[in-house]
Amino acid sequence: MMEGEMDKLINELKVKIIDTLNLTSVEPAGIDAEALLVGGELGLDSIDVLELVMMIEKDYGLRIDNKELGIRVFASLKALAEYIHQNRPETQP
Amino acid sequence: MRIFVTSLGIISPIGENASQTLAALETSACGLAPLSLFASSVDPPLPSGEIRSHLPGDVPRTHSLALIAAREAMAGIVAPPDAIVLGVTTGGMPASELLLKNNDPDPEKFRYHGTGTVAHYLADALGCHGPVLTVSTACSSGMVALKIAVELLKSGKARRVLAGGADGLCRLTYYGFNSLQLVDPAGARPFDKDRRGMSVGEGAAMLVLEATAYPPAGALAEVLAVGLTCDAYHPAAPHPDGAGAEHAMRKALAGAGCAAADIDYINLHGTGTPDNDRAEARALQALFSTLPLPAASSVKGALGHTLGAAGAINAAVSVLCIVHGLLPANTGCRVPDPGLQLLPLSSPRREPVSTVLSNAFGFGGNNASILLGKPAATAAPVQIKNRSTAFAVLGSSCLTGAGDCAQTLAALRDGAGISGMAPAKAIMAGLNESAVRRLKRLPRMALSLAIAAHSNSGSAETPDSVFFGTGWGGLSETHDFLSRLFSTEERFTSPTDFIGSVHNAPAGQVAMHFQAKGANITLTDGDYAFEQALFSAGLIAHETPGTVMVIAADEYHEKLTPLFDASAAGAPTFSDGGCGLLLQPTDAAMGLRIAPLFLSNDPDSDLTMHSLMLALGGAEAIGKKYGAVFAGIPAASRDKGRQQLALFIKAAGCDCPVIDYRKVTGEFASASAVAAALAVDCVRRGELPAGLNQAVPASLHSRGILLLGLGRCITAVEISG
Repeated sequence: MMEGEMDKLINELKVKIIDTLNLTSVEPAGIDAEALLVGGELGLDSIDVLELVMMIEKDYGLRIDNKELGIRVFASLKALAEYIHQNRPETQP
Repeated sequence: MRIFVTSLGIISPIGENASQTLAALETSACGLAPLSLFASSVDPPLPSGEIRSHLPGDVPRTHSLALIAAREAMAGIVAPPDAIVLGVTTGGMPASELLLKNNDPDPEKFRYHGTGTVAHYLADALGCHGPVLTVSTACSSGMVALKIAVELLKSGKARRVLAGGADGLCRLTYYGFNSLQLVDPAGARPFDKDRRGMSVGEGAAMLVLEATAYPPAGALAEVLAVGLTCDAYHPAAPHPDGAGAEHAMRKALAGAGCAAADIDYINLHGTGTPDNDRAEARALQALFSTLPLPAASSVKGALGHTLGAAGAINAAVSVLCIVHGLLPANTGCRVPDPGLQLLPLSSPRREPVSTVLSNAFGFGGNNASILLGKPAATAAPVQIKNRSTAFAVLGSSCLTGAGDCAQTLAALRDGAGISGMAPAKAIMAGLNESAVRRLKRLPRMALSLAIAAHSNSGSAETPDSVFFGTGWGGLSETHDFLSRLFSTEERFTSPTDFIGSVHNAPAGQVAMHFQAKGANITLTDGDYAFEQALFSAGLIAHETPGTVMVIAADEYHEKLTPLFDASAAGAPTFSDGGCGLLLQPTDAAMGLRIAPLFLSNDPDSDLTMHSLMLALGGAEAIGKKYGAVFAGIPAASRDKGRQQLALFIKAAGCDCPVIDYRKVTGEFASASAVAAALAVDCVRRGELPAGLNQAVPASLHSRGILLLGLGRCITAVEISG
């Protein structure tokens, strides 16, 4: 994937995360893609992860249904974007 | 005076009565099978604890299951129970969710929706005219109901109580727990090293509890004590070390004057989820320390997690263990998790048991432990204490269409209206937006009310226990969960909304905010939930020295309220709100006080009016004590309520102002809670504001206020100064 496409996916995910988790006081630009996604500055916990699992299955067709995979995928926004890119059923050109 | 289990009834996926259940436990039968009750979008359908025999379709499954267990428990007993206490989480949801899925607009079809309707259905069928209480504390509901029943008996307010829990399988819980990844696709295997979760089940268990000095003939077991605590840690996950669970077990032992070494068998909560089983195992390690653990097992690998029924089913199974000397196997567990240091029974064992400890834990960090003993075993006799159930009011708050307490009172002084929906600004006044980002309207209201009541008390001490009353629970969460489910062909849901949809979620938030680790009980029953919460607080709050937070609230929801609440449906304005009261149990006859005095499920009998007059001390006392009567008459039972009020006024010879307060607050289930908060302020000031008394301020002449609940139930609460 091109650098630009990755940025696009990351930005798309930022908006979805803010919307899904009702992070009303967070701006997309305020999310660091490399930072710890869960237990970090955003204040996300296991319930938020489950909420994101639903969103990712619904919007990207990917099921994350075990803890080990979840820990890896939700390590950071970048890790999440990479996982989606590598595994989504209809990878974009 | 001791408390005995004299009879019981049980229906679960392994048996439809006590003898079938016993036979199934003897052979370690497993009742789990792929769900067949409704089409499952999860393929293959998840193993579930479903009751396969046909249930009558005229009422929701929860109601049918509760009645089957209640009839078995009451078989051979001629007199109806003095009171019914039922733990329920889904209530009429098995029927309601289908109606909602089909966009059925007929409110009449939702008449069994309310969680409180299950207990009333039993009361009607059995002719029970006393208090009928509904507990909704998620998966500990059935055992918390037993605690309230025990305290009701100890207070002398009842001699025989029918108590237990019931829940029917429905999409809400099936998909909800699955969205939390808490369901084991291979079926529950509690304490197994490969366990991945629970299996959602359904069932009911009802116990007849009697208070007598000596074991009555045929007594099955003695209730030695019930301990309740709250983790105040997380909305859905247990405390990782099982701190609250350990404390609940310690409370039960202390209440009975027993030591851990006295326990012969532990009937575990053991749902099969990795976290729950680990927390329970750690709690037991802490409790037993260097002592060897007694025999222990969970029956949830055999019958699934029956949610609101689970605590009562565990208690009923424990009674069967005592009666028949049978310790059931921990079905489903093949290789015990070496990390847990807990080796549950791999096969049923026959041996006499005298003392059994049984657990039930639930969302909101709610923990309950019951200690049951063989009736012959000696235990310290319990004396009836004619304790006062009165509370000193340390702080109060309310939310109405006018705003917070100060705004509401200002509006009433100016003769302006206070009906309508509580403004978001007033609800959010004491809350931090990001801290409540996952909370919708009802938990925000409850938290806001609790924080305001605490802050206006000026007390540095935070409450120990929390009692929450709600007529309908979190409607926004329930609606959003179901509408997302149904709009995605039952494929997607919101885990957050599922956690928020349990009726006790708001009380769990309050507990976390204040680190309130004592009893945390949510009562729910349409228009009388506040009174039930206050009544239950009066029975239980004296157990710990701390203060108690009593909150009641309901939210208006544009889709669900008109379907569920017949009084609100026809009202000219959409209203909601509630109140918070920081209270301290008191025996003193001075200072600002609130006391629950009367709760009856028999509104139409002359005897009820007579009992009410007695509870209030007779006509002369009523005249001396009360400077005003606040009458709560839900619009849906206006004619009946008006007649009841006229009868009361005649019997009491009442000449003080009578305020029909729902005309002022608007129609919503917790309107009586708002009336209580207003009454507290009126008594403090010694007068009624113009807006409450036909535009004329009136003196209370140094007297208190009587808060009467009328209609389907009759309740009385006294506010005095």
